[in-house]
Amino acid sequence: MKPTLALPCALLAISTTSIHAEDFAEGISDALTVSAYDDQVRARLSGLLDLELYTFSGEAPGLIFTDDSHLFAPRLSLFLDAQLGAPLYFFSQARVDTGFDPADDSLGIRLDEYALRLTPWEDGRLSMQAGCFATIVGTYVERHLSWDNPFINAPLVYENMTAIYDHEAPYDQADFADGLTHEKYEYNPVIWGPSYATGLSVSGKSGGLEYAAEIKNAGLASRPESWDGFDTGFDHSTVSTRVAWRPDMAWKLGLSASQGPYFTDEAAAGLPAGTGINDYRQMVLGQDISFAWKHWQVWAEIYQARFEVPLAGDADTLGYYIEAKYKFTPNLFGAMRWNQQFFDDVPDGLGGEVPWGRDIHRIDAALTWRFSTSAQAKIQYSIQHESGGGGTSDLIAGQLTLRF
Amino acid sequence: MIRPLVLLLACGCSLSPAESVIEGRVTLPQGKKAPVMAKRYEIVTKGGVLSTNPPVAVVYLEGDFGKPASLPLRSIVQKDYAFIPSLLPVRTGTKVEFPNEDDTYHNVFSFSPAKRFDLGRYRPEDKPVPFQVFDKPGMVTLRCDIHEHMRGIVLVLDTPHFVVTSPDGKFRLTGLPAGNYKLKAWIDSRTTLEKPVSLSGGGTVKLDFP
Repeated sequence: MKPTLALPCALLAISTTSIHAEDFAEGISDALTVSAYDDQVRARLSGLLDLELYTFSGEAPGLIFTDDSHLFAPRLSLFLDAQLGAPLYFFSQARVDTGFDPADDSLGIRLDEYALRLTPWEDGRLSMQAGCFATIVGTYVERHLSWDNPFINAPLVYENMTAIYDHEAPYDQADFADGLTHEKYEYNPVIWGPSYATGLSVSGKSGGLEYAAEIKNAGLASRPESWDGFDTGFDHSTVSTRVAWRPDMAWKLGLSASQGPYFTDEAAAGLPAGTGINDYRQMVLGQDISFAWKHWQVWAEIYQARFEVPLAGDADTLGYYIEAKYKFTPNLFGAMRWNQQFFDDVPDGLGGEVPWGRDIHRIDAALTWRFSTSAQAKIQYSIQHESGGGGTSDLIAGQLTLRF
Repeated sequence: MIRPLVLLLACGCSLSPAESVIEGRVTLPQGKKAPVMAKRYEIVTKGGVLSTNPPVAVVYLEGDFGKPASLPLRSIVQKDYAFIPSLLPVRTGTKVEFPNEDDTYHNVFSFSPAKRFDLGRYRPEDKPVPFQVFDKPGMVTLRCDIHEHMRGIVLVLDTPHFVVTSPDGKFRLTGLPAGNYKLKAWIDSRTTLEKPVSLSGGGTVKLDFP
């Protein structure tokens, strides 16, 4: 079957079976759950099958990697969640897809997440976690999976490639100021999606105050290939912290900070004499606010990031978004998001200064129809404008998700 | 969660000498495995093992009993990340409220054809307590949009004569009028057993569902 036909065919299949979908999904869920020792040890395998279709004017936006003007991206995500007695919780995620982010590559399988969490007290005052897992920074992580995300892509600051190039130091100031001159995948955003790097975390809460801290093998901007701690080691670790305050259930205000090197080992040889990878750091300060009540959910985050760039000095950027979701009916919800990112000036190598990226703004709109508790279809339209001759481009995307 | 041993309160009927009783036992299926709460992306989580409900059945008398003048308000509480009770039989037209007694949001919803609704997110202190009127007979599966493992069932019945079995399957239906009926045992979404029953006014009929 042609990839472009797969989405409507799958949709049709879901529509015609929706009457029995609930029973069928329950049966699968029961079959994929095991329990032993009087329910003290329990494990559940679950999954998401995503079929995504993107079409866009201009270059592929964000973390979509193709030279074509459209892309079909299938993805199977398998999740294992296990509760071992009251205090121990283990989870993992394996994926079959064409790349961690949508790409026109061949299918491959990866283990993206695995972690063990110890929660000694039932009131949640302290949890400790070790493994390869999503960052504690910000609020996007908790809704980044396709079933929970009102959109098909991530907020701009989590996917907009900047001129930061983690494999190689710039040759001179002009080289850095030239911006994205290589293949897009060679560059880095401020935060690469959910950032499943490897490390340790502690978290907990006391009253309305929540806290978390983590030490990871790779920084927030690092690419998925850097997240495996066994491959890349812990010589260049990043520390992140987060505090959040819940004045009541509807509101949450958070503050996140992160600091750590962003260059990979490959870049070491090209760094200025006398300096090493740990001398060039990414620093991120994030603020977030979220609100939920009845059928409304609203999230907003603002990130200030600084990359210490050899020869070019500090490269600063500021990105933010505000996102709202509203459920019209049990089956239908819609979402809108306004995103913007600004870039500060860096030396151009000719005695002047230029922005180190094109200021960009983007508006995303999406509608999701839930056929049942195990199938949904989403459509999204995005339009973005880049300053400095970048022009305007748009994206239309569709996503069919089956959950089991 | 251990359910109170026998819930024999559903009929709201008083037993008079001309009224009959049916009692017996339903063979219940094995209990469900305890759910696993997915909390990988929650920075702050609580420990603990989720509670499970022992399997129970609903036994009811099917017939034409007319429409009631009024129906009592019923309630399903969300507590400790579970619906309590997890199975509630009600008569068609009953109003059921859904109080939240956890210190977190819940979002009760149903995609079931008998009642499709979404209460949105609400706090324990939100008033009035969100409710639904179940005006069509059938099985309504309750879920929480935030806590995927939560399940509850409202079984909407066109009869005033129903009862939830005890966890060992025993039941007793009282205050039944004379006549020929079908006695049904709802066991799960795929299994409803039935037997004809003849009530002649007064006395006790013994009937088991193997």
